[in-house]
Amino acid sequence: MGSLMTMVQGAVQKRPQAPVQEFRPHLSARDFSVFYGASEAVKKVTLDIPAGQITAIIGPSGCGKSTFLRAINRMNDLIPSCAASGKLIFDGHNVYSPNVDVIALRQRVGMVFQKPNPFPKTVFDNVAYGPRLQGIRNRAKLAEIVERSLVRSALWEEVKDRLRQNALGLSGGQQQRLCIARALAVNPEILLMDEPTSALDPRSTARIEDLMGELRGAYTIVIVTHNMQQAARVSDYTAFLYEGILVEFGPAQRLFTKPDDKRTEDYITGRFG
Amino acid sequence: MGQSFLLAVTVCSSFAVLFIFYFILKDAIPFFKLRGFTEFFTSANWFPSREPAEFGALAIFAGSALVTLGAAVFAVPMGVAAAVCLSDVLPFNLRQAIKPVIETLAAIPSVAYGFFALVVLAPLLQEHGGHLLSVAVWLMGAPMGALVVIILADVAAGRVSGAVPKAYSPVRWGTMAVLSVGSFVCLWWLSAKLGRLEIASGANALNVSIILGIMALPTVVSVSEDALQAVGRELREASYALGATRAETVVRVVIPAASSGILAAVILGVMRAMGETMVVWMASGNTAKIPSPWYNYMEPVRTLTATIAGDMGEADHVTGSARYHVLFAMAACLLAICFVANLASEWAMRRTRRKLAGG
Amino acid sequence: MRLTSRKILDRSFSGLGFFSITLMAASLVIILAPIFVRGLQAFVFRATVEHRRMTLDLFERGDRAKIHSEAALARQARQPVYEMLDSFKKDLRTKPASERPKYKEPLQQLEDALRDLLGPRPGEKQPVLPRQQYGQTRWDRAQIKLQDVLYRQSYDYSDPTQMGRKVRTPRAQDFKGTSLEPLFPYIEKHAEDMLRPRLTLYWRFLTDVSKDSHFFGGIWPELLGTIYLALGAMLFAVPLGLVSAIYMTEYARQSRLNSLLRALIGALAGVPSIVFGLFGLAFFINTIHVSNSKSVLAGALTLALVILPTVIRASEEAIRSVPHTYKEAALSLGASKWRTVITVLLPAALPGILTGIVISMGRAAGETAPIIFTAAVSVGEPLKLWQTLSQPTPALSWNVYNLSTEHQKLDELRHVQYGMVLTLVLVVLFLNFAAVVMRARMSKKLKG
Repeated sequence: MGSLMTMVQGAVQKRPQAPVQEFRPHLSARDFSVFYGASEAVKKVTLDIPAGQITAIIGPSGCGKSTFLRAINRMNDLIPSCAASGKLIFDGHNVYSPNVDVIALRQRVGMVFQKPNPFPKTVFDNVAYGPRLQGIRNRAKLAEIVERSLVRSALWEEVKDRLRQNALGLSGGQQQRLCIARALAVNPEILLMDEPTSALDPRSTARIEDLMGELRGAYTIVIVTHNMQQAARVSDYTAFLYEGILVEFGPAQRLFTKPDDKRTEDYITGRFG
Repeated sequence: MGQSFLLAVTVCSSFAVLFIFYFILKDAIPFFKLRGFTEFFTSANWFPSREPAEFGALAIFAGSALVTLGAAVFAVPMGVAAAVCLSDVLPFNLRQAIKPVIETLAAIPSVAYGFFALVVLAPLLQEHGGHLLSVAVWLMGAPMGALVVIILADVAAGRVSGAVPKAYSPVRWGTMAVLSVGSFVCLWWLSAKLGRLEIASGANALNVSIILGIMALPTVVSVSEDALQAVGRELREASYALGATRAETVVRVVIPAASSGILAAVILGVMRAMGETMVVWMASGNTAKIPSPWYNYMEPVRTLTATIAGDMGEADHVTGSARYHVLFAMAACLLAICFVANLASEWAMRRTRRKLAGG
Repeated sequence: MRLTSRKILDRSFSGLGFFSITLMAASLVIILAPIFVRGLQAFVFRATVEHRRMTLDLFERGDRAKIHSEAALARQARQPVYEMLDSFKKDLRTKPASERPKYKEPLQQLEDALRDLLGPRPGEKQPVLPRQQYGQTRWDRAQIKLQDVLYRQSYDYSDPTQMGRKVRTPRAQDFKGTSLEPLFPYIEKHAEDMLRPRLTLYWRFLTDVSKDSHFFGGIWPELLGTIYLALGAMLFAVPLGLVSAIYMTEYARQSRLNSLLRALIGALAGVPSIVFGLFGLAFFINTIHVSNSKSVLAGALTLALVILPTVIRASEEAIRSVPHTYKEAALSLGASKWRTVITVLLPAALPGILTGIVISMGRAAGETAPIIFTAAVSVGEPLKLWQTLSQPTPALSWNVYNLSTEHQKLDELRHVQYGMVLTLVLVVLFLNFAAVVMRARMSKKLKG
């Protein structure tokens, strides 16, 4: 019991001391619930996601964290039996109000998935996909956007000579960074990451965690992870979800060393999950 | 015990196709020995019962090609669109409701289709062919035209301004106006021209193309749908998460990823149309002449399959003559084409699996 | 591109998809509707007294006394027609010689048309062909013939720029001023009395043989032929196909032999149906002589080849979808591979295998090209079982073609053609439907 706690606390201590930022909510959930048919997967969650910082959502599998994440950019709309209640407020509007333009929303809230899913196209076409959708046709402009995004996702050096080759030829870690570049190319404000490193080897995982630290500040990042050490390593704020309910939310430093709720402590110390 | 017996039986089943190849070729070669290759493939004079007989099958090959092309023109766009609708647009219940429609279309015997073509469609084409065609032009042309106009106008405006065009860009509206008027005039002219058409005989290449297209549809739809489904959820999710509409996701990601599978579907559907006998025998007019001009579908044609079926009745009595063997020569050509098409569709299927698996 | 245009494109894209699906469903309806509606008319129609007389004479069915009295009533109604004709002919003899030729042709046409409608006059010499021994048996055909009696059709070629136009002139005009003029209003008014139509359900259409090449009677020989051919095809294809499927899924897993076998079977599936027919002729009949000329046996063998790939594929899929836990359980209890297959795999895969078999039977029943040279004839007696080894047979699929293209009087037999097509379509659709229902029921039973 103690060793897990020690590991986590060690991870927290090892972090580079981030400059203290003021808490400015970028996204707010108020009594927000998600239903699959009749069962409530996310139960009346009330939460503020701070801007420019990394928020991690942790919890045992099946607790609704992926569901909550996918609700933010309304990816749950793709599932026919899914419905939501309550408010999810972004930029002053409820994301789930009927006249919200989902396409525009998804351009401002990007997503990276668990398993890297580059399109079977060239590296260039993958990153340029988003900008092309928005109507940008100028070749020079596209090239500039592609380079910028690949630089920002720390992949440029590795692929700059193979932009016109099939993206599926890259390694797993490279593919995931490509997906991150692809998401960044449309210039989102929030970047959602659904267990982005769980399918990768430790080296690639470390690189992506470094990347997250670099992206912080320019983007608001919300990451779902079942790996507690990862959450302890990278996040500024952490939310603990258990069976759909938000048990605790607070600065990662505090949550991992002196959690308020007993359930949080049990989870962190490995008593369950 | 059993294993060698089982193997023997299985070998029998598989070797059936080799037997077929052998026996067809065996009776086809005497024709080429008798008459050579040039006349058969290059001359359009088909007079097997004349004295002296002529066996120029070019017109018949042309007939087969024409009706297969016509069937493809009907079946491919409609089939792929329907497959896309089934895999990406329709909710689950509706999809299950449409499946029986496709299976029923596939189950109807070909002679029933041929009967319909002969007894219902042919008189209809003869009496009202022109009107039907002009109505069809409007029905298909108007939505297509509207779509093309919108796309072209946007592209034009985008090119001119260099960035995302504004709502009231004069270039955009100007292009739209010009293109709309242009396409309207085109449609009007086309439908008026077709409306005045007098179809001499309802049993022609158009009739057969329509029916063959309907017969090829179930194959195209089901194989395409399998290919589209095989693309998987992840790629679609990635596209939607980047802010693409459903149309864009399907057109820019799903269809390119499934393109080999769709190609296989098209090949299989076209193969079905080419190998069909009863429909063409009953409703193509059975005239061994290349239509003038070649794209005039209102004229009767003759296909390889119908010639084999039709002439064998008379040729059987003179076993050993060129007349008997030429039919086997045609069958050999049909076999060769279908075999190549089969190989092509297998290759396309394998390419799909490789493409989606990576690199 | 602007967001609104992207949305418009999205909508129209979905619209295009819906349009295609609607077009597909519409073509299904358009094709099946005439077949069902007019095919039903082969079974349910208004039958005239001629039909009942014909059934009594040729099929020995019906209430003799009632039919005879009905015929007498009909004769009574027709009597004035013949009387008027006779009196006109007498009048004609009294007319001057210059006028007589004017009426010769129209009178001949009129008498022919009347004979078509009502049959030969009582007392006239009986024609040889049964179709000419009776008047119109169906009221819908009778009404067409009635128009032929009342009107004369000719072509108007006066306009040189147009195709000849059809023109109808009343025959009454040809006989204006003569004693024959009142004939036409009489016929028109009393047609029902002369023919006495009554709504009938002729379900025996399926079990009667045809008399005088389908002019009268039903389609039993064709239906029986189709049944023989489908069952025969199944008889040859199922053992061969099932054994092959078992071997390929259980014994020869991923070897190169397996891929070769599978490629060959795939090639078999791609062969056009007419080539199967040619092969059947060249191999089964001309080379190994299963019969001297066309026979059901040769046809069944050919059809078996046509459906073999389908049977193999369905069986393979069914066997493969059996959870391998069943197999592992049996093997771990000490059963040999063969026993496992027979006692565990096959029973579990049975729903899928049966479904494949039934669907293949439907396919075999509907195929025409393979049996043209190997088994089908246009007219024939229903075969006894032992005759199938050497005799050809009529079949629904072939006879639909034959009756609608090569028959002399195909225009008059539309109802028979539609009836045959309807029967064939119903047989095939029923088999497909039964297969689906069977699969659903059996897999539910097996899942417990």
